[in-house]
Amino acid sequence: MHLVKITTVQTLEKDLKVIILGDYAVGKTAFICRYIEGKFKTQEPTIGAAFFLKQWGPYNIAVWDTAGGERYTGLSSFYCRNAGAAILAYDMSNSMGMKLDLMTPESRDITLEEGKKLARELNENIDISKLPSDPYFETSSLNGQHVNEVFEFIFQHCLPLTEAQRKAAFEKNSGTVELTEKDSTKKSCCSK
Amino acid sequence: MSIKAFELVPAIERIKLMSDKARTQEDTKNLFDNLKKCIFVLLDRMSGYMWQKFIHRNHFVVHYTIEEKTSTSGKTVFHSDKQGHKYLAVKKPINQLKAASALNRIMVLCDNTLILLNMFDLEPIVSGAKIKGVTCFCINENPAYGNPFSVEICVALKKKQLQFYTVTEDRLVHIRDISVSEPAVALGLDGSFVCVALSSQYCMINFETAHIQDLFPFDGEQNKPLILRISREEFLLSGPSALGMFVTSDGISQRPPLQWSENLINQHQKQAIPFQGGTYLGNFDGRLFIASGKEIYSLVPVAWEKQIYRRFQQQAAFIEFSQQNFDEARELFKDGQVDVQEVISLYPKLLPTNTSFTRSIQPLHEIADINQLCRGQDSLLTDYKTFLRLYLEDIRGTKEAIGFKQEIDIALLKLYAEVNSPELIPLIAVDTGCDLKDCVDWLEKYNRYHALALLYKYHSENDKALHIWTRLVNGEIKDEAFPGLQFVIEYLSNLTDHELVWKYVDWILEKDPENGVKIFTERPPNEPQSERLRPDIVIDYLHRFPKAVITYLEFLVFQKKMEKEKYHTHLAVLYLDSVLQLMKTNNIKKEEIDIARSKLRHMLQISNLYRVQLILGKAKEQEMHAECAILYGKLEEHDKALRILVHKLKDFGGAENYCIVNSQGKDPSYRKRLFHALLSVYLDPSYEHKENLVKPAILQILPENWSVNLLSQFLNRNVRKSLNTCRTTRIELCNRAFGDSSFVRYPNGVVTHVHCAKNKHICPVTGKLFSTKRS
Ligand SMILES: Nc1nc2c(ncn2[C@@H]2O[C@H](COP(=O)(O)OP(=O)(O)OP(=O)(O)O)[C@@H](O)[C@H]2O)c(=O)[nH]1
Ligand SMILES: [Mg+2]
Repeated sequence: MHLVKITTVQTLEKDLKVIILGDYAVGKTAFICRYIEGKFKTQEPTIGAAFFLKQWGPYNIAVWDTAGGERYTGLSSFYCRNAGAAILAYDMSNSMGMKLDLMTPESRDITLEEGKKLARELNENIDISKLPSDPYFETSSLNGQHVNEVFEFIFQHCLPLTEAQRKAAFEKNSGTVELTEKDSTKKSCCSK
Repeated sequence: MSIKAFELVPAIERIKLMSDKARTQEDTKNLFDNLKKCIFVLLDRMSGYMWQKFIHRNHFVVHYTIEEKTSTSGKTVFHSDKQGHKYLAVKKPINQLKAASALNRIMVLCDNTLILLNMFDLEPIVSGAKIKGVTCFCINENPAYGNPFSVEICVALKKKQLQFYTVTEDRLVHIRDISVSEPAVALGLDGSFVCVALSSQYCMINFETAHIQDLFPFDGEQNKPLILRISREEFLLSGPSALGMFVTSDGISQRPPLQWSENLINQHQKQAIPFQGGTYLGNFDGRLFIASGKEIYSLVPVAWEKQIYRRFQQQAAFIEFSQQNFDEARELFKDGQVDVQEVISLYPKLLPTNTSFTRSIQPLHEIADINQLCRGQDSLLTDYKTFLRLYLEDIRGTKEAIGFKQEIDIALLKLYAEVNSPELIPLIAVDTGCDLKDCVDWLEKYNRYHALALLYKYHSENDKALHIWTRLVNGEIKDEAFPGLQFVIEYLSNLTDHELVWKYVDWILEKDPENGVKIFTERPPNEPQSERLRPDIVIDYLHRFPKAVITYLEFLVFQKKMEKEKYHTHLAVLYLDSVLQLMKTNNIKKEEIDIARSKLRHMLQISNLYRVQLILGKAKEQEMHAECAILYGKLEEHDKALRILVHKLKDFGGAENYCIVNSQGKDPSYRKRLFHALLSVYLDPSYEHKENLVKPAILQILPENWSVNLLSQFLNRNVRKSLNTCRTTRIELCNRAFGDSSFVRYPNGVVTHVHCAKNKHICPVTGKLFSTKRS
């Protein structure tokens, strides 16, 4: 379950910094791992923060994973500094973890509408109507559902690639072939 | 993000310090209370790593020189020498001590007052410049103004204020003040930025613009804030849960936090040196010192610190690399412990194809590959390849190479193959990390067929290896490294897959039967027996190659000492055949036949297992007397044998030898019997001899210890017989035989020829005068 907050500030070092925030054990690390490595791994609680680098066409993107543990709360805002986009992750049902794959209609605490509403509120400063979809995604790191879409959405918004650039980038990198497949799912979602 | 354990190296041992220490009981006790405030001060980096250190405890400043050495085991050890100490006339203990080497001053914070001392005599400077109300201070190692004759410092005052000064030899010049919300407890300076730990949070302040940026809070109760400037515009701060947080002057983090102090704390708590408990951390010229509570002077090149330092080294390494400063690059690659794959990955196609390696997430460099660096300049490309080769050779087998054997060996193989290096074969032959997957194509591409075959061999693909060697021998492919057929023979003779041996035997023996047979005769000594290499099978097979069979049988009979009649007879027959063959050949040199015959005789003599009759028949037919003599000997028909030796071959030495050889290992009486036999042969009157056979030489052959008695009868009889013959057949006087029936006999029995009897009254032999009266 991820909300995306987009700002326009960018760091000098990397072309884009994306950070994920959220309570402990909601699955932030698993989510990033699914995207970067393409597989689901059970994670140890993150200590402090972790850092990943992703290539997006000609750009370098720094993806920061933060720790949700209470004692690290003071660090989150510090690590947010200079981020171009933040992903706010939370449990769809606070009782059992935020994982879409575990979700049944009864176990759901926060409805799709509530989620979207929050996402819109958080992104007040940008024109939502120009986005291809709501900056809100319900994901599963276990089966990979909607994971790539979140990143694609952010990257394409912050650092738009031309069709040709995207093609070139994906041909180079076999890891992102999967992403294009998911991409089509996402598009079909959007056209609805 | 895994962080190595800390290495703690004692810089100055407790004992030493104790003995140096002022002597009162009181002081000794105080020593420990105040040790937590001990500080190491880097004054100067002299040749090698020499530090001057001033430590202060209580009211003393002690000056040490510390020398860093690396022991033979690779451990860092410190040697310290005390230079002097100074008692400061102050009432409170010293809180902080720093050196300004350029000014020959040390700065001492004591009783909230900052004063300057002369570095060498430790006396306060004459001007008496000082700042009061100071809680802590810090030197700017990256000065904002950059005046070489001054040092920039920042001091934190008790009254929620920071002050900036430049310090000269005798003055403290006030620059500006900045107010803060809480009193500062720790400081770090770099350029125009000061990183400050207030009582509950860190912030970054630009002291030029007075802009204050909050960083993150910390729990002042649990953790003592620490600020360490690690490089230009970057600090390392202690964060919650023992995290090491990186912060740039911009107030952001460009690296993930380090979990460094977990280890440190654990390690220290065991020694009752809580890191939070007021220890001191200092970074001097890439070395880090920690002063701790009880374990008096621990010096810690801390792993995280090393790690950062290492990263700089690594980046520097690639810069040197891109500028062809190869010696520097190599040292930095090694010192910085650069993942060797990072280096190899700069060379297209040199990493194993199945590698899972991807370059460091935080890129160490912007080099695509060496082609990009060389831009088509071939000589440069060669230099780069030479560099890699030397670097890999250098680290191969050392601890830097652990875990990368395959990567290193494969890269080396590819480099060697390209330039046809003589190192290629040794690389492959023993304990190689080269796999087949990558290397086969590469070696083929560069026609390194022999190396390829050896690699197959190393990976137990013997058939493939042999296939290549076959093609090399047949000249279908060429590789000058290939030593030739002999090599293949040797290889087969050591190959334990006997099925496979047979596959190539035909081809080898057709090419070279004489050497090829070594496949069977030069097997490994402790090779287990196998049905496929049973001698009978081999002999059957070798039929087509007569010389090879002989060599093989010789191997069985003489070397393996196989006691099978079949092999012995077979070998004897083959020897005999080859003699006969030679004898039939025209124009053959006598020596050749002699050699063949002596081989045969040797065999007949030393073996007792062949079928004598079979050989004897043929030998008699061909009148091969010497051979017959040996064969009779085997049948114990000594008389016949000796007769042949003495009468047919006139080989008296041989006859004697016969007696000795044939009685070897037998009862002594057997030898006697043989010599009897020999004597009888010699003395046998039925043979006509022109000479006297009973020569002293013959008697000499009789063993000395034989009693004369034993022989007397025999000798008597024979000597008499012989004498008689002599007498009756020879004339004493002229020693000539009787020519006709008439002779002269003197009264004393002397018989002479008629023409020898000149005077009938005087015996011509004895000169005896006989009576002339009697007639
Ligand atoms: N079924 C299911 N389990 C998940 C999913 N995502 C994460 N988990 C599990 O949830 C647990 C917590 O996941 P993490 O990724 O460590 O959570 P986190 O948000 O990084 O936690 P902190 O690092 O402590 O902030 C782990 O055991 C994961 O295996 C998901 O999509 N589906
Ligand atoms: Mg995590």
